[in-house]
Amino acid sequence: MDSVYYFILVPMVYVAFFIFIAGNILQIVKVIQRKRFAPPLKIYPEQKPSFLWAIYDAFLFPMVRRSNPILWFFLIGFHVCVFLLFLGHLELIGDFSVLQIIGHEIFIGRGFVGLGILIALLFFLFRRFASPVRQFSVPEDYLILMLLLLTAIFGSQMDWARTWYGYGELTVYEYRPYILSLISLSPDIGPVMDVGHSFMLVLHVFFANLLLMFFPFSKLVHSIFAVPLNMIRRGK
Amino acid sequence: MDPKLHQEMLKAISDKLTGVMQMYLDTCSRCGICASACHVYASVPEFENTPVYRAESIRKIYKKYFKLQGKLLPMIGEAVDIDDNTADMLKKTAYSCTGCRRCMVYCPFGIDTQQIMSIAKLLLIKAESEPEILSMLADVSISKGDSLDSVKENFLKGLKKIEADVVEKWKLEAGKVAIPTEVENADILYVALAGAHSIVPAAAIFNAAGENWTLSFFEAVNFGAFVGDPSKTKLILDRIINEAIRLKVKEVCICECGTAYRVMAQLSGDKPFKVSSITQVHARYIREGRIKLKPLPADVSVTYHDPCQIARNGGVIDEPRYIIGQIAKDYREMSPDPKTNWCCGGGGGLVALGDETIDFRMKSSKVKADQVKKSRAKILITACENCHTQLDNLNEHYKLGVEVKFLSSMVADALIK
Repeated sequence: MDSVYYFILVPMVYVAFFIFIAGNILQIVKVIQRKRFAPPLKIYPEQKPSFLWAIYDAFLFPMVRRSNPILWFFLIGFHVCVFLLFLGHLELIGDFSVLQIIGHEIFIGRGFVGLGILIALLFFLFRRFASPVRQFSVPEDYLILMLLLLTAIFGSQMDWARTWYGYGELTVYEYRPYILSLISLSPDIGPVMDVGHSFMLVLHVFFANLLLMFFPFSKLVHSIFAVPLNMIRRGK
Repeated sequence: MDPKLHQEMLKAISDKLTGVMQMYLDTCSRCGICASACHVYASVPEFENTPVYRAESIRKIYKKYFKLQGKLLPMIGEAVDIDDNTADMLKKTAYSCTGCRRCMVYCPFGIDTQQIMSIAKLLLIKAESEPEILSMLADVSISKGDSLDSVKENFLKGLKKIEADVVEKWKLEAGKVAIPTEVENADILYVALAGAHSIVPAAAIFNAAGENWTLSFFEAVNFGAFVGDPSKTKLILDRIINEAIRLKVKEVCICECGTAYRVMAQLSGDKPFKVSSITQVHARYIREGRIKLKPLPADVSVTYHDPCQIARNGGVIDEPRYIIGQIAKDYREMSPDPKTNWCCGGGGGLVALGDETIDFRMKSSKVKADQVKKSRAKILITACENCHTQLDNLNEHYKLGVEVKFLSSMVADALIK
């Protein structure tokens, strides 16, 4: 079992990050290398400055709000939670005073961010069971939702255990040396092993690895292309 | 499937695969926001009528041949082969989209379904499954460009017959030609559609404004664009560009035809002349005081249908409202804003296909009919031939009780000395 844990927590993490970074760079290079489409693709009326309007469109999806306010609420909630989780994971690497402008305990959100993301993901999943979304959904849509759900469930469980029911064996002080050992290319899983919640961490990392590896080859690249596409629509 | 055809279809996709197209195909998250943005789905709520379903028909082929995911794990994205059923499947998707791009307004990523459907249309051409009549009409337009001298005489004879109608609307000084042709160094080359209705009011207005203009020998409509054939689109477009260059005109003015305007304004590249829609030219004449208009009686209510290719996709939004403001006292905006105005349902070559598509056009445009009805206007104005035909059909089908009129006719009828 130890070797399985080691495989997931060390080599698989490196492979996943390599595929994630190289795969996304490859996607961007492919887009740049393909021939350009010269005629304008913008939508009128124009609003200036178009760059800022494109950013507004990409991050706040105003037309989704107008068309489907409930979906918009969950989409915004989900993406805000993803951003907060990103900050939370940064704080597992080290102390960033800029992130502590509003003082908070690490991990940020006291477990509610994970809860929020799970609720949003369940909404997205159940929404796919209803027509017409069901008919044009493909297995990729469910696979990504399941990977996100499983990653979020096991990730949140670690936080819930610590902050909600006082299961304080696996804390930021164990995660940090493990993550730093990975970054410094001298991996050591010792700090996060042999405690009650190690298997939660292993499962969290396992599903996160799968997600990272699938990312560049899936619709998740929308996180890279949303801004350029909105700029094209705005005529920038 | 014939391997040669298979290769040709793959090459067609590859030729269309620009950087932007790759982003359009890779990015969609199938959220379905585009569904209710489409007039077809909003009128007939079946999943086959959603923009995302249409786009998926191409996306699944793209995944199979151009994406690692489709090659390694085809079932994940339901990647599909190009086979003998492809053309039948694409026919349903490509010609249920009018290319209005309303879905693009709502899509959080701004995915252009019309662009994706341009791949579907090209594949249909390769499989010789495109609507034959559109290809034939495109070929007729191209052959006219090749043998202009043989059609010139008949065209000029036709113009003679309608000159009196022009003079009836606006009396000319003695010796002036009502419909000038072949005028070198003219300020405007006017490109009309086949038919007096596209020439007479425009000619009267040009003459009233004292414009130094000339009429093109070619019709503006581009059937190559409707059928989705880039080479034919260019050949049809080049006839007008070459004529404008030969006559050394300063400006090419496109008649009330949405596709013709957008193709000339956006697909013709760098050119030594300005491109305007006739609506823009008329608004300019009014602003410069070159024409004066008599307003309609105060109790005549009017509304305006924004042709998608001219307004949302062409940027001509304020000018028609300015012109109508000069004619009508009771103007009723039809939708919350022109950017989200419903398509009439006649674009993308559907009106040109005539009775073949009438049932689909009527069913798929119920939301447009409802929108017109809600305005309670007596006159429904538009500035596009296809829209006019479609709105006329809707008026009859849904008993809207409006009078459908071209904006240029309204201007010509309101001319005063």
